[in-house]
Amino acid sequence: MKMKRYAFYLKMVTSSLIRRRSRMFVALLAVAVGATILSGLITIYYDIPRQMGKEFRSYGANLIFIPSEDKSYMDADSLKKAVSYLSPDDIVGVTPYRYKTVKINEQPFMAAGADLAQAAKTSPFWYVSGRWPQKEGEALIGQEVADIIRLNAGSQFFITGMTANNKPFKRGFTVSGIVQTGGSEEAFIFMSLADFENMAGGDNAIDIAECSVSVSAAELDRVSKIINENVEGVTARPVKRISESEGTVLKKLQSLVYLVTVVILLLTMICVATTMMAAVAERRREIGLKKALGATNAAIVAEFIGEDVFLGIFGGLLGAAFGFVFAQAVSINVFARSITFQPLLAPITVFASIIITAAACFIPVRRAAEIDPAIVLRGE
Amino acid sequence: MFFRMVKGALLRQKAKMAMIAFTVALGASLATAMINVMLDAGDKVNRELKTYGANINVIPKGASLLNDIYGVGEGSGVSDKYLKESELGNIKTIFWAFNIVDFAPYLETPAKLKNGSAINLAGTWFSHHLELPTGESLDTGMISMKKWWDVQGQWLSDGDTDELMAGTAFARQNNLKIGDRIDIISVNKTYSFKVKGIFNSGSQEDLRAYVPLAKAQEMSGRNGLVSRVEVSALTTPDNELSRRAAQNPNSLSIKEWETWYCTAYVSAICYQIDEVMTDSVSKPIRQVAQSEGAILEKTELLMLLITILSLAGAALGISNLVTASVMERSSEIGLLKAMGAYDIHISLLVLTEIAITGMIGAAAGYFAGIGFAQIIGRSVFDSAINIKPAVIPLVAFLVFVVIIAGSIPAIRFLLALKPAEVLHGR
Repeated sequence: MKMKRYAFYLKMVTSSLIRRRSRMFVALLAVAVGATILSGLITIYYDIPRQMGKEFRSYGANLIFIPSEDKSYMDADSLKKAVSYLSPDDIVGVTPYRYKTVKINEQPFMAAGADLAQAAKTSPFWYVSGRWPQKEGEALIGQEVADIIRLNAGSQFFITGMTANNKPFKRGFTVSGIVQTGGSEEAFIFMSLADFENMAGGDNAIDIAECSVSVSAAELDRVSKIINENVEGVTARPVKRISESEGTVLKKLQSLVYLVTVVILLLTMICVATTMMAAVAERRREIGLKKALGATNAAIVAEFIGEDVFLGIFGGLLGAAFGFVFAQAVSINVFARSITFQPLLAPITVFASIIITAAACFIPVRRAAEIDPAIVLRGE
Repeated sequence: MFFRMVKGALLRQKAKMAMIAFTVALGASLATAMINVMLDAGDKVNRELKTYGANINVIPKGASLLNDIYGVGEGSGVSDKYLKESELGNIKTIFWAFNIVDFAPYLETPAKLKNGSAINLAGTWFSHHLELPTGESLDTGMISMKKWWDVQGQWLSDGDTDELMAGTAFARQNNLKIGDRIDIISVNKTYSFKVKGIFNSGSQEDLRAYVPLAKAQEMSGRNGLVSRVEVSALTTPDNELSRRAAQNPNSLSIKEWETWYCTAYVSAICYQIDEVMTDSVSKPIRQVAQSEGAILEKTELLMLLITILSLAGAALGISNLVTASVMERSSEIGLLKAMGAYDIHISLLVLTEIAITGMIGAAAGYFAGIGFAQIIGRSVFDSAINIKPAVIPLVAFLVFVVIIAGSIPAIRFLLALKPAEVLHGR
């Protein structure tokens, strides 16, 4: 008997959905749109710190490694050890630098040896006219140096100075490009670490290392403390101006998207609810007929809720899928990166859609159910 | 007759029409809020990014930053050039004056301690009140430029004459705490200062100490002079034109030059500052200027896409409801048809009803939307969102299109009705 009642209930719900195909399609569309917006916006909201965090790395290094106070340089192995405390996924770039005062035409300049491929990552704001050095014997010079000794891309120049062992050296270089930064880098001459070592001697000694990591300021402080305790010879220092400001701006951005999301969700839900209410209101005649045939109020409410659960499930599933597609499209267009799928979001979206559709129907159905069937059927 | 019918229909179905108006109002408020926030978000985020500090550095022509790098400082002939303090107000009178958020002048002062070791001492404005030749006034200086500084004790004020602010590294080297006194010798005279605040900037500045500009000028005997100015300006992201202009503004054609000059590119602002300050060279600090542009672009694009999504959502919601509510009036339409109404009359009747309801809803929604936009602005940026009147026609147009589009399938359905069937009660 019980089984039969369930079967009949299911049959009523499904046939009602199929018979009124076009109306149900409209309702399904409304639920699906609501669910799409829900899942899409929540995905974006959770992904913003990660994506924007990467964008903020265009400000350059937010962590620097310097030799501990008693030392004048650090060796490459302890730097490697220090870097190993950072998660490889978060590291945008690590650039070791060596500096030395040298002379060009008897004028003093600062020469810097650096891992140039990494420098392009840690300092993406450098504006290089010409190109980065690629071959041995090529150098990138700062705008100020270029102005003082009148060099252009392609010109040759000679660097003289003393090696680490106090032997004089003289080496020729070709200018591959001129770098503008607006900062003190414009007074430097950059070359690859290999060239620098060939010229000035001294192996594996690093003066300073710039590091660009996409993590929050608090995390940066935590990691630097660990590194300072565990790695000998290296002091890690967060660049406060970069890390702190990033925190403030990111927080504002995230709360902007958060508020916008809340407002949009609220309005979409009300939109879905009004559509559902309209759909119920036009079925008063059907409700009246059922009541006249002896259906109880509870049975009528249950039937409608059942239909809505179906709508909620299908609309929610559709929405979860489209929402992800939408979030993916936004992420690729804005940040040129794909996002990770949040598996938990799908059930949440479906659940939320069910609740919203059911809640939206409950009040109008209750009211409709309380109406005297005679009045409804007469056509009032 | 037509208007009586419209009026009758509107009044008879008060509840239903109220629901349509309500949904339209929701959609319109969403559109209004999002478009307003979107149009203003770039500007607001740009202001937030100012926490990264100055993006333009103004120095005297010929001077270089050699002091920073080699310690080749005073007296060597390269950095003995200055800007005039009296001209600083001019920075706020350039074409893009409105985009200059803050600026602070610095005067490096030769100074040493009693034991003979040299120190980095500079004078600056902390919060300086400035009356402009245009009759406006502004307050600017380090306090607003260096918001990220972590200050123990207090900021100086420009009137303090025997107090200074020290960087953490400076304080550690000289064993200073807040309230301690330190004697500084400058040009053969000894001055005694009390430490009013200690700041942590996480950069080279931690090695410095700052005093008010007037005091530094008095100590070094350089009245009315400053050695450099940091400017924080709102700028537009660089493009091909601005890059060419940055290399040589004279290489542009007259039309290009005008476009460049009248756009807030960092290079154009630098150029305009050079015009009003005698013998000055302004340089963009690329680290800040460039990154700001990148982040701004991303934020604006993100907001645009979210806005499009929400508009699409609102449009579907409205047109769904309009479709549903028009369809249920089949018996009324059937009766009209049976009495001999033409299709065009029926369509017009339905459209007019919906349009009137929709416009009432849209008007209410517009004001609600402004409210939403302000809530977002207040709670995120602590400042009001700038309401643009151009949004009104945009929202009105969107609502109109959505309503009409939503009515079309419903009207087609109504026109296909057979009066006999409908009236019979099918």
